[in-house]
Amino acid sequence: MSALAARPWRGLPAAALATLAALVVAWLAPAQGYYLNILMQASTYAIAVVGLVVVLGYCGQISIAQAAFFGIGAYAVAIGTVDFGLNFFVALALGVALAGVLGLLLGLGSLRLGGHYLAMVTISFQQILTLVLTNWIDLTHGPDGVRDIPRPTLLGVSFAGGNAFLALCLVALVLVTLAVWRLKSHRLGRAMQAVRDNDLAAGTCGIDVFGTKVIAFGLSAVLGGLGGGFFAVGFRYISPDQFGFAESIVLLTMALLGGVQSPFGALVGTGLLVVLPEWLRFLRQVYLAVYGAAVILIMVFLPDGLWGFVSARLSRRALPDATHVPPLPLLSQTGRESAELVLSVEGLAKYFGGLKALDGVDLAVRRGTVHALIGPNGSGKTTFINVITGLYRPTAGRIRFAGRDVTALPPHRRNRAGLARTFQNIRLFRGMTVLENVMVGAERAGNDVAGDPAAVVRRALAALDFVDQRGDAFRLVGTLSYGHQRYVEIARALAGSPAMLLLDEPAAGLNMTEKHALGLLLRRLKGHGLTILIVDHDMTLVEQVADHITVLNFGRRIADGLPAEVLANPDVIAAYLGEPRRHDAA
Amino acid sequence: MQITRRRALGAAAAAGTFAIVGRARAEDTLKIGVVSPLTGPVVEPGRIQLNSLRIATDQVNEAGGILGRKVELIVEDDQSSNPGAVLAFSRLAEHDDIVAFIGSIRSTQMKAMAPDMLKAAKPVMFGGTDPSLTHLGNPWLFRCRPNDSYSARVMTNFCLTSLKLSKIALVHSTDAFGTGGEKALLGNLDKAGVALVLDQGYANNQPDFTPVVLAVKSSGAEVLTSYFTNEPDCAVFARQLRQLGVRIPWVGSYSVISPVTRGLAKNALFGTYGIADFAEDANPTAKALGAAYRTRFNASPDNGWTYDAMKVLAHAINTANSTDAAKIREAILAIRKFPGAEGEFNFDENGDGLHGYNIVVNNNGAAEFKEHIEFTD
Amino acid sequence: MDVLLQLLFTGLGIGAIYAMVSLGFVLLIRAAGVVNFGQGEFSMLGAYLLVVFFNVLGLPYLLGMALAIVIMAGFGVVFAYATYWPLRFRGGLPVIISTIGASIFLENMVLVLYGPSSVQIDGLFDAPGIQVGPVFMDSQYLSILVIAALLVTLQYFIFEKTLLGKKLQATSQDKEMASLLGIPVVTMVMITFAYSAAMGGLAGMLVAPILFVSVNMAGAIALKAFAANIIGGYGSIPGAILGGLALGVVETLGAAYISVPYKDAFAFLMLLLFLLVRPQGLFGERIAEKA
Repeated sequence: MSALAARPWRGLPAAALATLAALVVAWLAPAQGYYLNILMQASTYAIAVVGLVVVLGYCGQISIAQAAFFGIGAYAVAIGTVDFGLNFFVALALGVALAGVLGLLLGLGSLRLGGHYLAMVTISFQQILTLVLTNWIDLTHGPDGVRDIPRPTLLGVSFAGGNAFLALCLVALVLVTLAVWRLKSHRLGRAMQAVRDNDLAAGTCGIDVFGTKVIAFGLSAVLGGLGGGFFAVGFRYISPDQFGFAESIVLLTMALLGGVQSPFGALVGTGLLVVLPEWLRFLRQVYLAVYGAAVILIMVFLPDGLWGFVSARLSRRALPDATHVPPLPLLSQTGRESAELVLSVEGLAKYFGGLKALDGVDLAVRRGTVHALIGPNGSGKTTFINVITGLYRPTAGRIRFAGRDVTALPPHRRNRAGLARTFQNIRLFRGMTVLENVMVGAERAGNDVAGDPAAVVRRALAALDFVDQRGDAFRLVGTLSYGHQRYVEIARALAGSPAMLLLDEPAAGLNMTEKHALGLLLRRLKGHGLTILIVDHDMTLVEQVADHITVLNFGRRIADGLPAEVLANPDVIAAYLGEPRRHDAA
Repeated sequence: MQITRRRALGAAAAAGTFAIVGRARAEDTLKIGVVSPLTGPVVEPGRIQLNSLRIATDQVNEAGGILGRKVELIVEDDQSSNPGAVLAFSRLAEHDDIVAFIGSIRSTQMKAMAPDMLKAAKPVMFGGTDPSLTHLGNPWLFRCRPNDSYSARVMTNFCLTSLKLSKIALVHSTDAFGTGGEKALLGNLDKAGVALVLDQGYANNQPDFTPVVLAVKSSGAEVLTSYFTNEPDCAVFARQLRQLGVRIPWVGSYSVISPVTRGLAKNALFGTYGIADFAEDANPTAKALGAAYRTRFNASPDNGWTYDAMKVLAHAINTANSTDAAKIREAILAIRKFPGAEGEFNFDENGDGLHGYNIVVNNNGAAEFKEHIEFTD
Repeated sequence: MDVLLQLLFTGLGIGAIYAMVSLGFVLLIRAAGVVNFGQGEFSMLGAYLLVVFFNVLGLPYLLGMALAIVIMAGFGVVFAYATYWPLRFRGGLPVIISTIGASIFLENMVLVLYGPSSVQIDGLFDAPGIQVGPVFMDSQYLSILVIAALLVTLQYFIFEKTLLGKKLQATSQDKEMASLLGIPVVTMVMITFAYSAAMGGLAGMLVAPILFVSVNMAGAIALKAFAANIIGGYGSIPGAILGGLALGVVETLGAAYISVPYKDAFAFLMLLLFLLVRPQGLFGERIAEKA
């Protein structure tokens, strides 16, 4: 718990120290010349690279337009102060705001696209911006660039001197690094990482995937613009050729080299790529070829970059603690079946072209019951679940959940209404720890603890307690065994206090012992009154837990009722075995 | 992908933990700092400039050096980029014992370095042709090539007076060089009361110039002027121009007549006129430089400004008989009728040393010096 | 009208260049699921090889081309081992970045060997072109159009009508399953890279007489070829062609009638429009993810 407590002052002591160090460096730096220029270049670039950590590292969205945002910030400050006489900080604010807005717009391009498409969108944006900067001469001064950009004064303190302005840059860098570092363990940061690791699951855990991506782009653009604004004043002269596609590649490489998962990686990468050309100067022209080869080698051997490599080696796993946490609210209830319908599905149909995966299915799940959905392979069970949770749009029919019509709602809104699910192929967020995964579930919008970070942690631990995985809380979730991962996935769902838990083949991949334990777990949940809809093949498990069974075949409902009746139904048997049982062979 | 080296190196060198790479040992040499593109897209012209500079330096040293001391060049790589140039210059400026500098041929780099050059307060001989560089209020910048206002004047003169054609079309790149040339040409034509029949910009690195050629064709122009930055662009345009049947005379900035362009475009450029600051047959100094260059480097030089810069500096420092920056400055400004490879140096109060250009014609693939046009006002 | 016709011809000509480079892209996408940001460098290398064989060594032109194609095919395999193979399980992003690194490496190695100046090379035909009415048709552009048409047909035939093509498609859609069915997946991927590199090299050789040979020659073209790919329909062969041609025409007309300096912007605006409104392009198919 101590490792994750959201103390508001976390990181501040280190940041204060870093600021002090930065001020000392700035004071010691020469007032002009080579080393000053290099430090200013490195620090302003680093701010932009930290922006890439947000959009690419945390959120997994590729952006090859960071130099464009860098340029927007730079030009806003340059034109603002030189042509319009604005105060530096005002011009900087305008530039950052403009970059942010454009970043959000660019993020909108991620609506239906990912990967290479998104890369192309960002490249196009970058190219168009370069052309505008070069050709809109009336505004941007064109290829001549803008010169004599003035240094600012703040509260009577002049930053005209190199040292003073360098101090400003370094302090800005420290603050940005602190903010982005803290973002990672903030709810928004977890949402971004969830989107990166598994956007499908993120949606069903209540995260607005699209919105999160847009915000990530916006934040990244803001940081790009911020770095650019400082850069313009640092070097006092800018021209369009410094903010092109090639520079975006440089920034990207700096991020990757250092390690795109952490702002410290950004610092390492920027620093190194500013140093490397010096060391490799003896290689002259060949140095760039070496650089290109290095990019490939980094991707192959150091995917987490240098910082990632180093910090993975050095990090100690936090020890699990046994602090008592209040148990899941669920556990204080006792189950009682009622006639109230939690889920009501009418005439649900889903056609994929000519294939009728679901053809008019009705289903009703009563509160406090365990309702099983079974059927042979290809009967439409998984399609059914995907339509219920919002991953597919139904062709026809209605879905009512917890009293609301959710037929047209996206997955994260259904989750908000209290619908949680697990997946046939376990979908956990592999870049995060066990605890962080469950926290994503706990902090879902609409949950009672959602606004309180400390309570979220406690709730997550309580959920892990329930499934007996608390000891692994600080392990990366991918290091657990398959069975344990399954429990974590269930814990994630439970942490959100769902009105109904939807389990898609939870026994898949489990061995006999694990299945038995799962069955016991489900019985406990049922004992506390949790409404469950379970899809599975394993008849033993189903018989163990189900109060009510619905059977699908070829997208249609062929049986619905109490387990004993349904399982003896000849149609059901025929669907599975292909032939009715002959009485005399029984 | 369009990855230029200048960009990667534009992330230039690191924070201050690295020892300065081996510098000159001998204390009694006279040091001149040089900013040169050792890496990046303009490394080839950069190499020629550095070679010419070395020829001049050796000649100066053979003649006794400057103030009796041997001249030593301290060269820093500007990586063909603005930030790289700034860093290169600031590295040089750290050396207190550097007496003067030789700057860049690229105007944007000069502009980027200008504030640091002002602070360094020592003479800088440079080659960038943007006219505004000598009007920045910086007393330390001395240009060793004729600036673009003169190239534009020469173009105007040549069209209106020599060719006697007044329907002029202009094709120019939209980068700094091209727009600078456009501005200068418009200014000069304005003075002569003539308007362009076509003012067509294009972005660098085009595979196809058909729209531009068709615009020229339909403008009714009698003569074509141009400011092309890149040689392949110029050659592609030239070929398409001829293919689409345009045969009007063409006088353009240097890229039109450079050896590379002539080789690429072959007969498409026969008969075109180029404005060149350097032509071997223009004057005896240029001829001598050409011969010396061929002997030593087995190739022909295409510019001589760095050679001239060293010779002018040597002359000025020796005349001033001191390494004091202000005295050197005075001596440079006092130079009259100094024979350089690029022309006769007469420094004006702004720091411009040359005020004329050569007209060179492409005679079946060979560049032939035609005439030198000088302005004395 | 004359002007329009001439513009259309050159637009199609430049479009055919985009289409040819684009074909190389499509191949890798369809058969290996790889987005290769180094595709432009394949063209650049092919052109330089031809320079070596024809200009420097004096071999006959067509022989030089043939040799260069063979060498490029071999190079494609090497490229695959270096950039794709070690990363093949890690998803799209690392491979994209790795190919970016490869393109930087290749560009600069050639820069070291040959310097930044452009080199001239002759075209397939001595005659510069033919005048058809008001339109001048550059002979190299005509060759490109014809060869592009042939290549499209060839590529379409291979993919849709031969067993090899089916195997290549199967490999791209589900490697595991393909290998379980006895398809030698590694071989398929290598074949794809080899063909794509050879195709890219051929495009470079055909373009070299027009654009001249230099390390930068293919950079802008490759970017636009990729855009053409997306416009035409990601992974679709007829889409790559139509996308390329459309892009060339739009760009040329835009330059002539709207603004020459912003010419490149038209290509990217067109791309953005498609990406936002119809991301599957003209002919592409959407692939749904299995939940």
